[in-house]
Amino acid sequence: MPTGSSTLDAASSLPGSSGDIRKYTKDHEWVDLNADQTAGVIGISEYAAEELGDVVYVELPEVGKELVAGDTLGAVESVKSAADINSPIACSVTASNVVLEEKPGTINQVPEDDSHGGGWIAKITVSEQGRKDFAALMDPEEYKAFTGSEEH
Amino acid sequence: MSTKQVGDTVPLLLRRSCLSSLEFRPKHFLLQKSHPDSVILLLYTNRPCIVIGRNQNPWVEVNLGLVNQRGILKRLRAGSTSVAAGERTSSVGEDNDVDDVLLVRRRSGGGTVFHDAGNVNYSVICPPASFDRNKHAEMVVRALRGLRKTPHGVRVNERHDIVLDVSPHSEAIKSHERDTGMNSGDVRTFKISGSAYKLTRTRSLHHGTCLLSSPHLPFLSQLLRSPAAPYIKARGVESVRSPVRNVGISNADFEDAVVAEFVTMYDGSRAEYKGNEKMKVDIEIIDAGKVEHIPEIQAGVAELRSRDWIYAQTPQFTFSSHPTADDPRPRPDLPADLPSSFFPTDPELSSADLADANAPGLQMTVRHAEITDLSIPSTESGNSDSIITGAVGDKSLVRSLKGLHLHHIDDWRTHLGSENESVGRWLNRLFGVKS
Repeated sequence: MPTGSSTLDAASSLPGSSGDIRKYTKDHEWVDLNADQTAGVIGISEYAAEELGDVVYVELPEVGKELVAGDTLGAVESVKSAADINSPIACSVTASNVVLEEKPGTINQVPEDDSHGGGWIAKITVSEQGRKDFAALMDPEEYKAFTGSEEH
Repeated sequence: MSTKQVGDTVPLLLRRSCLSSLEFRPKHFLLQKSHPDSVILLLYTNRPCIVIGRNQNPWVEVNLGLVNQRGILKRLRAGSTSVAAGERTSSVGEDNDVDDVLLVRRRSGGGTVFHDAGNVNYSVICPPASFDRNKHAEMVVRALRGLRKTPHGVRVNERHDIVLDVSPHSEAIKSHERDTGMNSGDVRTFKISGSAYKLTRTRSLHHGTCLLSSPHLPFLSQLLRSPAAPYIKARGVESVRSPVRNVGISNADFEDAVVAEFVTMYDGSRAEYKGNEKMKVDIEIIDAGKVEHIPEIQAGVAELRSRDWIYAQTPQFTFSSHPTADDPRPRPDLPADLPSSFFPTDPELSSADLADANAPGLQMTVRHAEITDLSIPSTESGNSDSIITGAVGDKSLVRSLKGLHLHHIDDWRTHLGSENESVGRWLNRLFGVKS
């Protein structure tokens, strides 16, 4: 048994496998946490980006902002609609994706890309409450089923 | 973007011809506080105001120098349209002056609109699952079509606005052509109603305007054309200009028709709705008098009118007196009394291919209304006729302007110094301060 578990641990920290876990909210935000669940990235899902239509402006959070789950993290405007982006979990903002201010369409192209040039919204650090919130969110399969049922 | 299904719909109606000082806040309050499954209709009329969208730039959208003049509408109606004739005042924010134009930034997206007593606004707040950009615009179209006096040809267009198609044979067009000297055999389309939306986690809001009998339509293009716009490249949302028209019906007729359509829509059965007889839906009519005293509403009115919300919410923009690589549009002729550094003689200097840092004239980057970056003609260029003369070096000028907020500048001349009086006058005119 000890052998088995150490094998599993080794597998999850193999080089090339970041160990990141992505989860989704019912409001169509995603959040990635690193393997030790201390930091992560937030964005909106492809489903949401599609529903919103062409994004023309993104309001980003200030670095240092402290949020609880459900607080307004930012907002996007598309087709005359201003839509809030809510924080999926309790967190503290460490960076926001300034590329989006100049190229808001990035959100439509690669909403779930958390790399440089991607459509992510904010980088965050997370504490105990954030990890608790994270545990309650949907994994990719659950989210897929959820959005499938939302379509008419 | 929540998934809640519309189950127990509890329609709620707020109707009031004039919400006095409460123009906007009830929507936000109800958006946050109303029952999540309810559908709410609000109808209201504002005193004259210009409403810019959440992510717009007031220096691009609005002729602030004109709008800030006390009694401007009266002057426009009287035909004395000279800007210089107006006396600027800082107390336009006071209530009940029907000839002043109030500037407001709303929380929802979209472009800039003008309201007055001849325009009725409708708002529908509903659960996000039932959100559809055209659903309630179609409701208003049905209401308009049902009115005998409404001209034919009302429809929702691809921008979710309500427009009126007017045939070339109609009286309205003939008189329009007589007035303008235009003559075309085509059907002409006029916008009568614009829409904007705000989506929160639990609720969605659609609101729209409807021009019924505004006497101020001929002045809209003046009020909504900023002299600074040709120099500004802005992030965010720019308005799309459309020819507008009044429907030509009374506010009361419009409101009654919209209420009836709303009731029909949420009653589920058209046949069962007969005037004021018992309806299947519970409609609660909220009087503005009841909501006026709710502290959150009062606080919200103050917030929407605050100068920080109106100006500092502006997305980043650049101002450049000359074409730049980033904004190569030709500029209007500059005032002849600007320093000669604004008129480069070297043809290469006026080329738009030039890197922005080397472009002639004045350039500013303004972020949330704050001047964060600034470049002005260099004194080192070998051109002795620089913008900067005497003891004031360009570095000190940069220092004195950097960090300033545009909406805190009452007179550019005080920041630019007497050497640059003409630049100050020019900027005052563009940004609509002190003529």
